[in-house]
Amino acid sequence: MSVIEIKNLTKQFGKARGIIDVNLNVEQGEIFGFIGPNGAGKSTTIRTLLGLIHPTSGSATIFGKSCFDHPEVRKELGYLPSEVFYYDNMRVIDLLKYSASFYKKDCTKRINELAEAMNLDLKKKINDLSFGNKKKVGIVQGLLHEPKLIILDEPTGGLDPLMQQKFFELIREENQKGATVFFSSHILTEVQKMCDRVAFIKEGKIIKLERISTLQENNYKRISLEAKSGISRDAFNLDGVSNFKVKENTAKFIYKGNVNTIIQKIAQLDLLNLSIEEPDLEEIFMHYYEKEG
Amino acid sequence: MNIFLRELKSNRKALIIWSVCMFLGVLSGMSKYTTYSSGGAASQALTQLPHSMRALFGMGSFNVSTMSGFFAFLFSYIVLAAAIHAALLGSGIIAKEERDKTTEFLIVKPISRTTVITSKFIAALVNIVVVNIVTLLSSFFLVAAYNKGKDISGEIAVFFLTMFIVQLIFLSLGAFLSAFMKNPKASGSIATSILLGSYVIAKITDLADHLNVLNILSPFKYFSYTDIVNGDGLNTVIVILALLLVAVFSASTYFFYQKRDLNV
Repeated sequence: MSVIEIKNLTKQFGKARGIIDVNLNVEQGEIFGFIGPNGAGKSTTIRTLLGLIHPTSGSATIFGKSCFDHPEVRKELGYLPSEVFYYDNMRVIDLLKYSASFYKKDCTKRINELAEAMNLDLKKKINDLSFGNKKKVGIVQGLLHEPKLIILDEPTGGLDPLMQQKFFELIREENQKGATVFFSSHILTEVQKMCDRVAFIKEGKIIKLERISTLQENNYKRISLEAKSGISRDAFNLDGVSNFKVKENTAKFIYKGNVNTIIQKIAQLDLLNLSIEEPDLEEIFMHYYEKEG
Repeated sequence: MNIFLRELKSNRKALIIWSVCMFLGVLSGMSKYTTYSSGGAASQALTQLPHSMRALFGMGSFNVSTMSGFFAFLFSYIVLAAAIHAALLGSGIIAKEERDKTTEFLIVKPISRTTVITSKFIAALVNIVVVNIVTLLSSFFLVAAYNKGKDISGEIAVFFLTMFIVQLIFLSLGAFLSAFMKNPKASGSIATSILLGSYVIAKITDLADHLNVLNILSPFKYFSYTDIVNGDGLNTVIVILALLLVAVFSASTYFFYQKRDLNV
């Protein structure tokens, strides 16, 4: 069963674009990345999925049910919003207990474990906390009831690198215990490290949905050449070449396709230097981005 | 239950302040009774004021030199304050979650929006009941302290029953506005504007009887204080209509909050 199922989901804010015809399935146990630049519609998609805003058309369900018709389905949901705001006058522990009180189970032990892992002082007042520490409260708050579905909206903003690492460890642990994770971000390297599959969203539309492994290993190569004489664009005018940048005797591009084909092309040149590397997701993403744009 | 308790806690400080102010309001009002009832030149001057002036001050046709007349006059200000409290409270219960951006925290919990509203309504109800009872007891106590004529405890009880209904109307109006408006942050000021508007209407119809039809727009005029002073009690039909209005506002609150996109 798909844990998240989004079908033809469209959300318009008056005349402004929200998201257009988004289709997604997230299967049980996977870590799913949701990538796009700011304002692409990531948060809109999540908020529609969680029942905060109504879809204009289409449907979005978690565990097969809509959050509007079956609010109780959210008992297995842990959500970390991109910006964390809480009732300012509360102490951290009171806020966490209040949050736990909605789930009808004793979360005290888990709260303490998580707070310790994230190095969070439970006795402080929330408005005395720094942005990063508020984020930690959000993380503990999202995980304290050991949800089966974890939705993270730009989760690492404000966390220092050490905490980011701790956080990713926590998420991996939850995933190994069986939790499904939906992870939205504009930082590609963090998605690259964590996710099984990834969807790219741009200007409200999903432009690509693929396994990370397919994206990274099988198809794409970043090739840099240095030749003795000038390189012409025409020499590499074949399918799968993109982001072609040439400067006198050097050329750089992303290649997707059969490696033999490109090697034969390259072999025709008199080379000084050659490197073939795995591109990072950012370059692959930019490749989609520019092609579509 | 957890939302209800949380709501009570977050309103606790405001409730204490309002309660103290209501007590002080009644106290300062009653302390002037001696002047009004002394029968000297001051009270004579008051009775000789033209009707329009008396109406503007809120005395209308009450005989303010008697305790029941004076209390009716004072009560029109008490009810105004209680109504403002109720309107702000009603709009606040919904609007503050969006103002403080805590909606995202609350609504992703496994509870329906209906449950959220119900819990908050009950908590708000507790608040207005407390304000009502505090003011009622202050009035009982202070009226007894100043009263030299006949006991008016029965009338005071009826006065505060009407105040409770007015509180309910403005509480549900405030909640309705914050559930209905796309920008609920403004609902508090809109609710109080409507309230003051209806208060002005009440003043206008006090001055010009031929505009009495406008009273339908002013909950402050739904109950005739003259009837209460004269011991005629309340008009059942009007009580039912007023409660019906509360029901309509409340039902609309549920309906629109369910339908609205929440601001996050």
